Amino acid sequence: MTVSVLLTDSNDQAVRDAVTALHGWQLEYRSIDELVETLEMMSDVRALLLTTDDPSVLRAAVEKAHERRLAVIMACRDEVARRRAVDFRVEEWYRVPAAPEEIAARIHSALGRVAPTGAELAERAERVERTEMLYDALTGLPTLPVMIERMRGAIRKRGELVVMYLNFVRYSKIEEIYGWEKLDAVLETTAKAVHEFLGDSALRSSRMMVGFINDDDFIFFHVPAPGVPAASERMITELAGRLERHVAQRLEEVHGEEIAALFDIYVGCSHVYYNPKIRLERLIYRGIREAANAARSVEERERARKVADLKATLRARSVYIDYHPILTTDTGEIFGYEALARGVMRSLRSPEVMFEVAAEADLIWELSRLCRSRAVEGMQTWLTEQQLLFLNVDPHDFSDPTFESLEVADPERVVIEITERTAIKDYPKFRERLQAFRDRGFRFAVDDAGSGYAGLGSIANLEPDFIKLDISLINSIDTNFIKQNLVETMVRFAEEHDAKVIAEGVERAEELETVKQLGVPLVQGFFLHRPDLVPTFGLPAARAPR
Amino acid sequence: MEHNAATLLVVDDNVDNADLLRDFLTSRGYHVVVAHGGDEALAQFEETRPALVLLDVMMPGRSGWDVCRLMKQHPEHGKSVRVIMVTALKEWNDKQSALQQGADDYLTKPIDFADLNARVERNLALLGAAR
Repeated sequence: MTVSVLLTDSNDQAVRDAVTALHGWQLEYRSIDELVETLEMMSDVRALLLTTDDPSVLRAAVEKAHERRLAVIMACRDEVARRRAVDFRVEEWYRVPAAPEEIAARIHSALGRVAPTGAELAERAERVERTEMLYDALTGLPTLPVMIERMRGAIRKRGELVVMYLNFVRYSKIEEIYGWEKLDAVLETTAKAVHEFLGDSALRSSRMMVGFINDDDFIFFHVPAPGVPAASERMITELAGRLERHVAQRLEEVHGEEIAALFDIYVGCSHVYYNPKIRLERLIYRGIREAANAARSVEERERARKVADLKATLRARSVYIDYHPILTTDTGEIFGYEALARGVMRSLRSPEVMFEVAAEADLIWELSRLCRSRAVEGMQTWLTEQQLLFLNVDPHDFSDPTFESLEVADPERVVIEITERTAIKDYPKFRERLQAFRDRGFRFAVDDAGSGYAGLGSIANLEPDFIKLDISLINSIDTNFIKQNLVETMVRFAEEHDAKVIAEGVERAEELETVKQLGVPLVQGFFLHRPDLVPTFGLPAARAPR
Repeated sequence: MEHNAATLLVVDDNVDNADLLRDFLTSRGYHVVVAHGGDEALAQFEETRPALVLLDVMMPGRSGWDVCRLMKQHPEHGKSVRVIMVTALKEWNDKQSALQQGADDYLTKPIDFADLNARVERNLALLGAAR
């Protein structure tokens, strides 16, 4: 093993101890007069630790060391020495006296700072990127190249391989609604759940590996153990069903029902037989493609079923409304309710899913009409006279002729929520339509503000009475100072424009405390539906008429 | 490596700015490591595992945004590092892009040392609480 030498003019015992602590290092002491000369003779010197306060000798030593691309550390006795250290651009310096641990740390850090060549730098940065490529940062799962490499031997020996393709849908929706931090957390839970499940399953005795392909797809290789037959088509289908239930259950436990309801998984599989004439990579890529196609056809079948469910739902008007309370931050009193429509059928439980299916089947107006009339019907029963009803309306609904004649007993109590996510194409025309509603007494809220779709200018343009902050801004706001600043700005902006800010998606006590301190007047969120979690607040709970 | 003071990584292509930050933070008792470019910053990040990174946005080559994202996604240290962007960030949209790259805080130039100190302290405090 090569030894790295630290050359020094220091007699300090702490320096000696520091070098002893460094693995593979050795200390060479020279008086300052011999130092430069020694430097030219010895080939294993990697760093120089200087303590002299003779500037000219010091300069000569530093220049010589830098010429040879060695790290220089300066032990500084006083302020003058420290200035000099900065002036000479040595890699590291420290104040004497210093503990051996600190000196060792300085030496280590100095080595990292020796002006590396461009090539070296690029190589190190590349290494960071490469690690990121081979292993998914979030789930820690290997990516495809790693998987193929590791399975190569086992596949050759066994002669066959089963590829399962797990397609998790709507994960991008989670990111869109809750922000990337949430999606990261959900993917992490998913990966863990998949691992748990496969670890317990009947396939455990075989060689297997889970990998992360992209966005929201996982693949799973199964090479049966010697003497064990490969999983049959039937076993895999059955396995897929159980896997789906397991992941959904874990998601619900960790992230709540809202998110679990968004989740769907489609599993496809394929069987690959080893053929020495064909490159293994190609065989596997084909297998993956086949499994992915199988997963897609499962998805299409599911989709057709959901469209049928939606048509039945529309016929029977089987949509119910969850009324989510919006509270006054200071008092905890219920200021109003946001109406969220849900399908009675389990497959359409999530409003996101229901509207997605409706959009694909071109039934969006029908569904919107049903949800609106349901929400308004329930208003009489569930809301007191002081409470407002917040109604979600898609900008496209404004072109629905039946929307304009929306019949409400007292429009002053209805707040129409417009999402910032859907691009509004014709602004002047849209504003004209809003005005017609405003004239009748309706009020407006901009939904999902701060989700990155539009700036403050376009919000001001709509002259809203309420600004609902996007969930992604509230999520973990207690630990992110940029979010705090953005929300503060929004609160000020709203005050200037005679609007009220509503913080949506408050899920933790810390988040509630933070938005309270930032002066957000109204709050809404899962956390507030759970009175047991909020001792300072009253009893609001989401209400759902049966 | 036994070392009580937190390690901070200062990234700025301007040597004088970097030295200024480093001198101030060193005087506050932190162990400060400096990098003068994005690639160097990533290399230093792996080597020294800083608790907190002060990251300049405008750098030749790899931008601060890029560096921030790569650090935050790092499989081993990504979760345990706080990143403060050092920038002229004033606009709503800039702050949003900072969020999207995973930054935790920001510091506007020219740097006010009292502000710098407060931000470093509160970010390190959160890190301590999370452990």
